Amino acid sequence: MTKGSRFDPVLLLAVPAVLYLALIYGIPLLVLLGRSMLAGGAPSLAPFVGFFSDSFSWIVIGNTVRVAILVTLLCLVIGYPTALALARAKGLAQALILVAIILPLSVGVVVKAFAWQIVLRRDGVVSQIMTGIGLWDEPQRLLFTEAGLVIGAANVFVPFMILPIYSVLKLIDPRLGEAAATLGASPVYRFFKVALPLSLPGIVTGIAFVFSMAASMYVIPSLLIGDRFQTLATLTGRSFLFMRNEQLGSTTAVVLLVLTVAVVVASAALSKRLGGAS
Amino acid sequence: MNSGFLSVSGAAKTFGAATVLDGVDLSMGRGEFISLLGPSGCGKTTLLRIVAGLMAPDQGKVALDGEDITRRPPHRRDVSVVFQNYALFPHLSVAENVAFGLKARGAPKNEIAPTVARYLGLVQMGAFAGRSIRALSGGQQQRVAVARALAVGPKLLLLDEPFSALDRKLREAMQIDLKRILREVGTTAIFVTHDQDEALTMSDRIAVMHRGRIEQLDTPAEIYHRPATPFALGFVGLSTQLPGKVVQAADGMVEVDTEAGRLRAKANFIPGSAVLVGVRPERVAIGETKANRIEAVLADAAFQGARVQLHFAAPEGGQILAEVPALPADARPGTRLTLSWNVEDTLVYPALDLVA
Repeated sequence: MTKGSRFDPVLLLAVPAVLYLALIYGIPLLVLLGRSMLAGGAPSLAPFVGFFSDSFSWIVIGNTVRVAILVTLLCLVIGYPTALALARAKGLAQALILVAIILPLSVGVVVKAFAWQIVLRRDGVVSQIMTGIGLWDEPQRLLFTEAGLVIGAANVFVPFMILPIYSVLKLIDPRLGEAAATLGASPVYRFFKVALPLSLPGIVTGIAFVFSMAASMYVIPSLLIGDRFQTLATLTGRSFLFMRNEQLGSTTAVVLLVLTVAVVVASAALSKRLGGAS
Repeated sequence: MNSGFLSVSGAAKTFGAATVLDGVDLSMGRGEFISLLGPSGCGKTTLLRIVAGLMAPDQGKVALDGEDITRRPPHRRDVSVVFQNYALFPHLSVAENVAFGLKARGAPKNEIAPTVARYLGLVQMGAFAGRSIRALSGGQQQRVAVARALAVGPKLLLLDEPFSALDRKLREAMQIDLKRILREVGTTAIFVTHDQDEALTMSDRIAVMHRGRIEQLDTPAEIYHRPATPFALGFVGLSTQLPGKVVQAADGMVEVDTEAGRLRAKANFIPGSAVLVGVRPERVAIGETKANRIEAVLADAAFQGARVQLHFAAPEGGQILAEVPALPADARPGTRLTLSWNVEDTLVYPALDLVA
């Protein structure tokens, strides 16, 4: 907003999106919150107190946060160099990399899950490579393990890390790197002192995307790890679909929502501060 | 002074089918200030990037302070660059920008702050140390970029059209300032520009570049008074230019027939050669006072304060210009005037279409 905060008529352009989100997202969300708090008739925090006093709930929250963090980190480690390469590439090479990143998004998660089963099982590709180069003593099964889940989820979400970082990197003036070089900065020093800080807003956006998607994923854990590993999202699904426990379902949904919103808001604020400095 | 502190030999670079640098030799002494002057596309920026190590030449060598640096990466060359758009780090403050090179080179911590303060003071930006780069005007950013490049104590400073984004008044002030600063620091510098006034004002020597070659490397006065090629004559300063044919040659003197009249000059050409005759406008007088005389019809008179610039109707392929203190009282566009100049001031070149 500008100083004096005079109303800008351009903001009216956001009205359709706001109405749409309010109608199909905001109102159901309120209903959900209402259900979890009004379960006993009168508004009460009892469902939340009950949820948080159950040690199983904390295991579920731990699973959710841990997997989301690991997936986000893996996406960052894989995605950042890819974004760098994409920003540096020109013409056909750039188009090819972009296609390679975006095309897999059009393949359904269920289809991918079957592919991962080939890759992640005991005699799968990963296991064979790891034993082949001597990192593993004997073949191991990654399928239905947390590591397998993280690998699989990162595979789905990595484009959402690459693209925001790429779009920021692409806007960085290449002369900044050249200026740093002529001032005596080695390639490594240039990366850490110029490219990395200037791309922080993209990194923060990517983290917000991937973390919120990884924290709330439902299909991927269902297919890759199964029922004995519960996250807030899978527990919500189970509560509604199988256990017919609407109160637990809406409680876990609200906890998950607060968790992801907190991360997204925090990263947006961080991005704004970093963006303001750059 | 002109010993090879920096020496570029046979530097060549092609991009696809385009030859951007066509075997350039350049040698300069320690503490010297050389301008690379030429139109866009003449290869001056390519030459600068090759010296900086931001681009590798296809052929040729670059040596600095007795060391071959042709294949050395930019961060190990001790060559700083002031870029056209300044290329200041937007995420760092003014002082942090100036400190960047010192930190990158691992300068002792207790030396960084005083050095930064010294160079910010040198460019009169000491009061802005804590500011954000974005809060600075173009001229201020320019000063910070110069301070940042000098703070690392480079062997050689390269400036790539650093003043082209500034308005004229500011540009002239910056030119004088930069010269003072470089004199105080004693830095050897190469200055890339397409602005002849800038080059003439600032340089110890000017390299006039055209089509990937250095056509002439000389002092500003020599470049102006004795341009070595028709391009140098035309690009640096204004000139009268008349195509003609040598009709007589003896004892280092030629007589040239032009459509405007017969002219004499000190030069060696075979009779029959097609040539271009040139003379600087301030050497041309109105009236029959000098040896080389032509008659021309006044087309336009442009008042320029101290002098009046006269444009005359000229034969095809030529132009006739004179700069005089005052317009003769009876002269109007259409008036026929006699112009004259000295034989010594007359320049003769092989005709352009013959050397091309």
